[in-house]
Amino acid sequence: MGPLERWNESMKLWAQYLAQGGSLDPEPDSQSPFNFPELQGSRPVDGRSGLRVLRRGGVQP
Amino acid sequence: MGGQACVFYGGAEFSRDTDFAILADEANLARLAEAMRELEADVIAVPPFSMQHLLGGHAVHYRCQHPEAKGMRVDVMARMRGVDAFEALWERRTTLEGADGTLYDLMSLPDLVQAKKTQRDKDWPMIRRLIEADHAVCAASPTPAQIRFWLAECRTPELLIELARQHPQAAKEQSQREAVQAALRGDEAEVQTALENEERRERQADRDYWLPLKRELEQMRRG
Repeated sequence: MGPLERWNESMKLWAQYLAQGGSLDPEPDSQSPFNFPELQGSRPVDGRSGLRVLRRGGVQP
Repeated sequence: MGGQACVFYGGAEFSRDTDFAILADEANLARLAEAMRELEADVIAVPPFSMQHLLGGHAVHYRCQHPEAKGMRVDVMARMRGVDAFEALWERRTTLEGADGTLYDLMSLPDLVQAKKTQRDKDWPMIRRLIEADHAVCAASPTPAQIRFWLAECRTPELLIELARQHPQAAKEQSQREAVQAALRGDEAEVQTALENEERRERQADRDYWLPLKRELEQMRRG
């Protein structure tokens, strides 16, 4: 793919990303000089906006 | 610059925010302020939007509120460590035109690679991918400048050895780079070690560069 084709395909990913409740804030990065709480938007404690947890996996006690 | 430029150059598939290198003069900052008003963008965190802070090396961070860009994050910087002044970046830029006539002005690949030499883990695999992607596109008939660029910046041991083998004269001219010296000897382990040393030095240099700037940011945050 050329640069513009890659750009266009990346834009298609946006729709999917947002549909999955993806955040537009940068992920926390302790190595970034800009690692301030003020730069992180509010994140839902459980799941993402537009999604709800039906079943939770993970480490069992 | 940043992640969106990496998408164009083939190093990334997706980036959620947008980073701009800007010219920090009165007229251009006025234009930037107007553009941010159109995007209904608020400055978030510190520092505030000012020529002083931008010329001092700080990034100004925005969050857009316009419905067509709701929540999008935009960062702007006028000075980056080890990166040329804006005028030189602009002169060397890549310009692409989309099918709808939209123009995209990107930092040149060598300048983008330089801007990515930070203290963060995540930027170094990206540099590697950017060079690999560029080589994959241009390997069939590279220009001398491209060969020099790959030898100077390639972070993939096997590829660097292959470049040294294919272009031995150019590699000898780049042999001040430890990794290229090792590549000329064909020693992959040694190339890897040299690349790791290089990365370690750059990351420390970036941490040293940001120390006084981070102190300024903390003072601003404490208000």
